[in-house]
Amino acid sequence: MPTPASGTPPRALRWAVAGSVIVMIAAGGLFYYASQLAAAKRKTHNDQVTVTIHPHSCEPNALTVPAGLNSFRIVNASERAVEWEILDGVLVVEERENIAPGLSQVINATLAPGDYAITCGLLSNPRGTLHVTPTAASEASANARPSMVAFIGPLSEFRVYVSRQSSVLIKAVDALSQAIGAGDLEQAQALYTPARVAYQRLAPAAQRLAELDNAINARADYFEKRESDPGFSGFHRLEYGLFDQRSTEGLAPIAQRLQADTVQLKQQLLAQSLPPEQLVSIVARTLHTLADTRANSGEEERYSHIDLNGFAANLEATRKVVDLLRPLLTKKNPDLQRNIDSASASLEAELNGLKTSQGYRTYDRVSAEQRQHISNKAKVLADELDGIDPALGLSGL
Amino acid sequence: MKKTPLALLLAIGLLHTPLSVLAATAPLDLVQPVSDYKIYVTEQLDELASNTQKFTDAVKKGDLATAKKLYAPTRVYYESIEPIAELFSDLDASIDSRVDDHEKGVKAPDFTGFHRIEYSLFSENSTQGLDQLADGLNKDVKDLQNRVESLTFPPEKVVGGAAALMEEVAATKISGEEDRYSHTDLYDFQGNVDGAKKIFDLFRAQIEQNDKAFAAKVDKNFATVNSILARYKTADGGFETYDKVKDNDRKALIGPVNTLAEDLSTLRGKLGLN
Repeated sequence: MPTPASGTPPRALRWAVAGSVIVMIAAGGLFYYASQLAAAKRKTHNDQVTVTIHPHSCEPNALTVPAGLNSFRIVNASERAVEWEILDGVLVVEERENIAPGLSQVINATLAPGDYAITCGLLSNPRGTLHVTPTAASEASANARPSMVAFIGPLSEFRVYVSRQSSVLIKAVDALSQAIGAGDLEQAQALYTPARVAYQRLAPAAQRLAELDNAINARADYFEKRESDPGFSGFHRLEYGLFDQRSTEGLAPIAQRLQADTVQLKQQLLAQSLPPEQLVSIVARTLHTLADTRANSGEEERYSHIDLNGFAANLEATRKVVDLLRPLLTKKNPDLQRNIDSASASLEAELNGLKTSQGYRTYDRVSAEQRQHISNKAKVLADELDGIDPALGLSGL
Repeated sequence: MKKTPLALLLAIGLLHTPLSVLAATAPLDLVQPVSDYKIYVTEQLDELASNTQKFTDAVKKGDLATAKKLYAPTRVYYESIEPIAELFSDLDASIDSRVDDHEKGVKAPDFTGFHRIEYSLFSENSTQGLDQLADGLNKDVKDLQNRVESLTFPPEKVVGGAAALMEEVAATKISGEEDRYSHTDLYDFQGNVDGAKKIFDLFRAQIEQNDKAFAAKVDKNFATVNSILARYKTADGGFETYDKVKDNDRKALIGPVNTLAEDLSTLRGKLGLN
């Protein structure tokens, strides 16, 4: 039996208990408030979606977002640089290459309603899904698109360009394959460049074809066992053999497959229709990757160092597109047209400065500072190009 | 789904609204045929350039027989792509103008190109004094090639080209005035018809989606014209001279040619390019 002295808890304790309950309620309230605030903040950041890339999977692997502009923060939790892509069937809608291990990058994508796939790190990793739901705004802007008649001419002309350049590529790869088949190392090394140049003119269009383009153009990094991975094929496998191993041995079947793949590439490119808003965005994307990674790293042609030839070919394709849209853009936004022309002239001058009588310098002889200049100028041009679609009323779907 | 009489009535009602409204061609569906047409024109121009080179070589060598033989088969490539070639009026005049286009007739210094050379080869039976004209024709054809290369094809010109070619046939081929010295009009005739049919075939999917009966009617008239032309084909793949064409065949061509010109002139509207 409790003594009267200890029968009732001391007043101080009673207050303490009451106090802690109040604090708990307050904390709960604060927590609720904070989480609401955070949610509101996420909203203003356009509901940025975080995707974490693990060595063999993505998390989450199934996404649902509303139509319109979406931001994806891609966190690379694997041990090597990876790429992340949004695919519409076989076509790449948006991609980010070279996300370094331990880092994250943001991809902004304007998405139309529909079902997409997402790639995730290594090419052998399973793909995820991305479901884009329609919104009132997406429906409204789909109905308010500008007349498409004005784009028939430029898009037709670009398709003719793609057809021609594909034929050039097929011929160049045939010649390369012949030299490899004949075991002529020196000739094969010489013929690698024109074949790559032809490819780089097509790269903006070809990179929409995710799978086929990987077979043609994937670098060793995207394969589990890198150079020794049996899946590593295409141009860079040949480049590795010709310039690093300095031998044509074992390359003939890879060259033959590349021949078949380039024939396929032409067929698929001509069969795919290109929406007008992508005519510019595909070349802008190529220049952004040039500015963001390829210019500084020289990773694309790491065995042959013929990167400058490729950059110049990328610029050529960009100019083709700019020229095709010139009549439309000059009318809508002459200032932007002037800025684009001067940015493209400036990048060209930078590349020309690295030319010798024998052609472009090899990239191992281009200093870090010069590489940075190329990167800067490519970025200026890419940023200006990003202004074309809005100027022509083609953005926001 | 169970069809109620009302639904049937509605369906019938819908079928009676103008088909062009229901099955309007999306502009971007025209990208593929327009670009395929440019590829076709480019190929025809490559042929025109290499054949013009051979033709003018023969002229300059003074090889009258070969020059006469090559005249018509070379021109065919020009005739098949006239809707585009005509866009460059200066070159069209220097390559393909007829004597009537020049006030001073045959003697006019700016009467150049195919028909001026034709005049010397067939009317005067001579290659004399043609060197400069031969070089000029070659240069003009190469110039045309370059200009077409950098031309963004206006879609309405491409689609309108089918009718333009058949109007050309109606206006100048049936009368036999185009190749008045060589009488090789049937080559040009076939070139125009082939060029028109090419355009029609490239846009066939969009046209049929729009109006199947129309497409069938056009096909039938092309077949009629081609079968009459086929009667005058020679063993070497060429054609008889136009003076051999019988009167009743000339008359039989008039109907379908005019109908084709008329029908094809509705293509622009049908494809939403007016």
